[in-house]
Amino acid sequence: MDQRLLNRRNFLAEAGGGFGGLALTSLLAHGSQAKADFQPAAKRVIQIFCSGGLSHVDTFDYKPELERRAGTPFDPDGSLQFFASKPGNCQPGFWKFRQHGECGRWMSDLLPKLATCVDDMAFIYSMQSKTALHGPGNFQMNTGQTLPGFPSMGAWVTYGLGSECDNLPAFVVLPDVRGLPPGGIINWGAGFLPAEHQATTLDTSDPGQPVADLFPPPGFEAISRQRDKSSLAFLDSLNRLHQQKRSGNSELEARIKAYEMAARLQLSAPEVTDIRGETPVTKKLYDIDHPDTGPFGRQCLLARRLVERGVRFVQIYCGAENTTAEKIRPNWDSHEDLPRDHGYWGAVLDTGASALLKDLKGRGMLDDTLVICTSEFGRQPAAQGKQAKGRDHNGGAFTAWLAGGGIKPGISYGATDELGFKAVDKVVHSYELHATALHLLGLNHEKLSWYHNGLEQRLTGFEGKGVIDELVA
Amino acid sequence: MSWWRSIRTITIYWALFLYISGVAFAVDFATDVQPVLEQHCFSCHGPEKQKSGFRLDLRAAALRGGNEGPAIVPGKPDVSPLITYINLARDDDKAMPPKGSGLSKSEIATLTEWISEGSKWPDEHAGKDERLSHWSLQPLSPRRDLAESNRTPVDFFIEKKLDSTGYSPPLYPVRSGTQQGTVATKLSLRADRRTLIRRLSFDLHGLPPAREKVAEFVNDPDPNAYRKLVDEMLASPYFGERFARHWLDIAHYADTHGFERDKRRPVAWRYRDYVIDAFNQDKPYDRFIREQIAGDVLYPQDEAATIATGFLAAGPWDFVGHVETKSPLLKRAARALDLDDMTTQVMTATLGMTVNCARCHDHKLDPVSQEEYYQLTAVFAGVTREERVTSDELFQKYEKEKAELIKRRNRIAHRTGRLRGEGIDLADIVGGGNGHGTGTYGNGIDPRNAVVQTRKFGPLGNVKVNTFAKSKFHFVDGVFVVDGKGGETDIQLNSAGTKIRGIPATGGRAWDHIRNGPLASQHSTELGGIDFAKDGHSLLGIHANAGITFDLNAIRDASGERVLRFTSQVGYFGSPGDNRADVWIYIDGERVKNFTHLTRADGLKPVDISLPESARFLTLFATDGGNGYGNDQIGFGDPRLFPDVPREISEAEKAELSRLQDEANQIDKKVAGMGTPPKFYGVVPLQDMPEVRLQRRGDPESEAGEALSPGALSALAMLEPDLGGPETSAADRRKALAEWITDAKNPLTARVIVNRVWYWLFGQGIVDTPGDFGLGGGRPSHPELLDWLATELIAQNWSLKSLIRTILSSDTYCQTSRYESDHPGIAFDAGNRYLWRQNPARIEAEALRDSVLLVSGKLNPERGGPGFEDFTYKEAYAPEYTYITADEPNLWRRSIYRYIVRTTPSAFLTTLDCPDPANITPKRNITTTPLQSLALMNNEFMLKQAAYFAERVRSEAGDLPEAQVTRAFQHALCRSPEQNELDAAVTFVGREGLFAFCRALFNANEFVYVD
Repeated sequence: MDQRLLNRRNFLAEAGGGFGGLALTSLLAHGSQAKADFQPAAKRVIQIFCSGGLSHVDTFDYKPELERRAGTPFDPDGSLQFFASKPGNCQPGFWKFRQHGECGRWMSDLLPKLATCVDDMAFIYSMQSKTALHGPGNFQMNTGQTLPGFPSMGAWVTYGLGSECDNLPAFVVLPDVRGLPPGGIINWGAGFLPAEHQATTLDTSDPGQPVADLFPPPGFEAISRQRDKSSLAFLDSLNRLHQQKRSGNSELEARIKAYEMAARLQLSAPEVTDIRGETPVTKKLYDIDHPDTGPFGRQCLLARRLVERGVRFVQIYCGAENTTAEKIRPNWDSHEDLPRDHGYWGAVLDTGASALLKDLKGRGMLDDTLVICTSEFGRQPAAQGKQAKGRDHNGGAFTAWLAGGGIKPGISYGATDELGFKAVDKVVHSYELHATALHLLGLNHEKLSWYHNGLEQRLTGFEGKGVIDELVA
Repeated sequence: MSWWRSIRTITIYWALFLYISGVAFAVDFATDVQPVLEQHCFSCHGPEKQKSGFRLDLRAAALRGGNEGPAIVPGKPDVSPLITYINLARDDDKAMPPKGSGLSKSEIATLTEWISEGSKWPDEHAGKDERLSHWSLQPLSPRRDLAESNRTPVDFFIEKKLDSTGYSPPLYPVRSGTQQGTVATKLSLRADRRTLIRRLSFDLHGLPPAREKVAEFVNDPDPNAYRKLVDEMLASPYFGERFARHWLDIAHYADTHGFERDKRRPVAWRYRDYVIDAFNQDKPYDRFIREQIAGDVLYPQDEAATIATGFLAAGPWDFVGHVETKSPLLKRAARALDLDDMTTQVMTATLGMTVNCARCHDHKLDPVSQEEYYQLTAVFAGVTREERVTSDELFQKYEKEKAELIKRRNRIAHRTGRLRGEGIDLADIVGGGNGHGTGTYGNGIDPRNAVVQTRKFGPLGNVKVNTFAKSKFHFVDGVFVVDGKGGETDIQLNSAGTKIRGIPATGGRAWDHIRNGPLASQHSTELGGIDFAKDGHSLLGIHANAGITFDLNAIRDASGERVLRFTSQVGYFGSPGDNRADVWIYIDGERVKNFTHLTRADGLKPVDISLPESARFLTLFATDGGNGYGNDQIGFGDPRLFPDVPREISEAEKAELSRLQDEANQIDKKVAGMGTPPKFYGVVPLQDMPEVRLQRRGDPESEAGEALSPGALSALAMLEPDLGGPETSAADRRKALAEWITDAKNPLTARVIVNRVWYWLFGQGIVDTPGDFGLGGGRPSHPELLDWLATELIAQNWSLKSLIRTILSSDTYCQTSRYESDHPGIAFDAGNRYLWRQNPARIEAEALRDSVLLVSGKLNPERGGPGFEDFTYKEAYAPEYTYITADEPNLWRRSIYRYIVRTTPSAFLTTLDCPDPANITPKRNITTTPLQSLALMNNEFMLKQAAYFAERVRSEAGDLPEAQVTRAFQHALCRSPEQNELDAAVTFVGREGLFAFCRALFNANEFVYVD
């Protein structure tokens, strides 16, 4: 065997005779042999991704000094150049900050419902990104790299742990109903990992077809379930005859099994997306019929239903791709009118995320479900635009929060400077956040690797960044 | 100085004194220094680990320093970080070594003195970099004469290895006439002809063989039939299409930029066609590589060689990071990634060296220093990605020809329009035309000031509402932006000063221009089942709150028609939902028509308005419906002015019309035949050659040291790594690297391509990491064979077809892939590294799609040119690509001609393991998942194709199920069914129909696996 570092999965692949052997053991990424490195605190993850750049100084990161300096030049020397502008004056948060919960956490009035959950949440105030561009920023927070083509956290987790259930995919993504986030669907791709680890996108707009190609499309109604069964039985007999003469090739058996699992998915996927059976109280909690906040609430409810049924990793997008053609920006990227755009998106996030936390807690699921909420970067404490109502990108500081799944509740970690311009205390990049999440799932982030282009690639990079112990209960 | 430090200093001097006075006269490296370094430093800075990129066991590396720069400054211990660190207090975080009690005072003194004396490090102790003896960096083994062997060279080496590893194969059963017997052979038995032709066809063409071809080969009595078949298949243009796909995986080619603003690269396909042609022409591989790195410089007269450099630009590129952002810091970061992409691509593709690992520190495994990495990026630092003309001459010729043709076409359109009484197209007038097709499609008139531009705009700033701006177009009177302020204000509609009132308040904002065609970010050009961007339709796009007035008198004067009618189909072309807008039509200040709160759901509204001879101005405008102007894209479909009285056409005019129509058709054909301009997506030189410096930790903000000259890898000792000096031009740098890589003495270039070809034909390389020949990669299973093939390739003037022929003519390639679960080979070598059998192969995503099309009879064999687009495209800040089902002939071309979108890959193909073009993919993953089963069972493309397949079978085989089943088997599986298969299938067809049977065949294991 060559000198290449052997990791667990590579070893399995080789022992089983190439990728075919691997495929046999992990159809829906159902790795019966994949195991956690140690006893996990969390069994599953729900990640909320706020695309476009959520402003920490208007939501979570209270900066009294910014209020004191309101209206004074942020950069008197004129030496700074942000993504799209030169800094304007210091601009305090557009919403009033108050203290909440037993922990006394500061939060702005933009998020009144989430403010009632602070005792269950842990905040990282010192997040930083390697970039202040949306595309690379989304990639980094999802894959640990600013370049496209790397596996997302969900793909890594699936690769490391496989699936808990064998009739739903292990990794499901619920994109914003308004569209895809910056960088597109490769934000949840498998990169160089085998395609079985890519996310399955659930399309809730079409109840008849929640997963692509689950059933024949319109125009092929003649293919009834009964006829499909008959076709599958015939296909199976063809494949068995073919296999008889090639009994050494185990891949053929794997492919036969895949058709059986597909049939199971045809039963389980429509069931999970059908929320008619939820109680009126639950529906109200997620506010699923509200024209603005409803769609995201619905996705949060769906995420709960998915993890309930054993899905390992669910990612929900709160925000789509950029364009200024809309009346309200379709994501958090509030360059010209932050009160308008964050006002809208704040209500969306507030309702869905708070409902999710409360619902999980009420069902006793929060203890072993890790909830993560993040953005690709934050926004500047200085105002942008002629009307001074916007904020430019800020890769130097933003806030992420976590809850449940082995997270120490009611705490905070790290800090930005007095204005919220840069993270200064215990700076955290995607690496530590991902390492911590993997740790809570029972995975050693240094061992979770895949050989690609000369390197044992990892989600958490090579800068020696690791688990944030202070966040772990 | 603290008292403590004083004491320490005294101690040091004391120690020095001892050395100088009595013990030794000077520090000796071998006896005094090296043992100290070895004892205290090597465990972290030695052969095993190089923390901070620093190692002290090799002279060159030690004197160069690590990530933080030089650690040893000869003659100056006081500024040498090595001395500083070993002197730090033990509780200091940075003290070296970090653990234990540190160096003794005398050891510190020794090292200090050694540096004071100039850190002399004798040659004999310079240390040998063991990594330099890595197998792949050694010269190719001299060519071995195999004349005495009666086996082909490939079989000779494969069998030799099977022998030497102690493999004992079973006795294989053979039949000779009526005799049953067994045969002792190392390799498995030769596959039958039907298996061979299917295998060859997928390997060389990525398609199954035609039914007739299978029969012909199986029944060919010629003992040379196989050789003939190989030659024939290598000569087919399908060969280039198949092998180009392999190469484009390595070039990570796509037709868009990627990243957030995933813009189009409309002419990138020329590089793709270049690769196909190069394989088909059997371009010598060394020349193929030289052209792709520096063809424009090396062979400036050869247009293809220039297009070849599209290779350098084929990967992703971040428009926002390079162009849009105003932050120079973000720009430098984007550029660093850009250079990394080019450098990595060239070195991985040609040499299998993962130099990208040396961007932040020296390569952890391979003898590639960080400095060398930046010397390599210096080769490309003088170029940037851009569209480029294939040759100036061709481009000018193209432009001139096209302009000439369009001029003629416009004249004809004008005349036929007049003759036919087709009416005057107001959209064309907005485009600056005369109403008969002379206008520019896509042109817009700015509603603020009547300035004309093609470029698309977003929200307009500095809008002055209700201000009439006169147009310079003859037929357009002027434009304006409306805010009726609740009916309380006057709005001027035309240059005669006519004013109106009674228009509701608007937001007073405007988006983009008034256009001949769709607006910026328009949701769709389709409404009510008509696509107004196609089939001779026209569209006047007008966004709320803009307005335009046409000068009817000017139009009458030009057309000769006095009494006119205005007809159009008006609608809300923005996205569905609550978005709404109002439309208003005025004649000389009189409202003749209006639609309020128009939404997309309202569809098209017909307009038919008579314009008496007295009518002077026709005014059209849109307002935002009181809920903001976002999305309010109003369109006037086919807006035309007709003569109110239809005119008679004379016989002579009819004849003229028919002649003009012919001429117009011919010109249209010519224009279409010209295709896109002779441009490709490649690299162009920058104005100035920037200096390249080493970037610590790969951070462009931490540049260090002197400007670096371009250079290659010193690890290949047989070659000179120097590629020029700081003054060397961008062109000469690329030329020098191209020559260094293709130097016949470079052992990697030939080894790497030989291994790739082997991998493409056997599904597994001789080295199982085709993209990594470094210490982290695999070792060759058959090193002698690899070198023999490499030298053979060079001896055959780098002909890849000749190499492929050599491999295909071996028994090793032709052996069967079938084996039973009790075959002794499984225990011996389950992964089949030693090739005791062939490898069965799952066909790739593209080959699967192409095979389905071929088998259904729908494959469109059209070659080359712009890629087919199986998606709808919507221009926006971040363009949107939405996939459609490929169900028309121009979408039934081979997958190599697909327009590849980076941010939005085809979900169907991705599910089938088609790789992400953001990555260099030297080796594809193969997975088996239920989502694949669903895609093949239910995807609309698959179902439609199954229906076409059934149609084809029925038309060829008639209505008898036996004949249908047999024919379908022959097309899909290249064989007739066995009796038990036939029985089962006939029963199935009787019950579920032929379509269901064809659908099942497309899903069969045998369809997607090649024996």
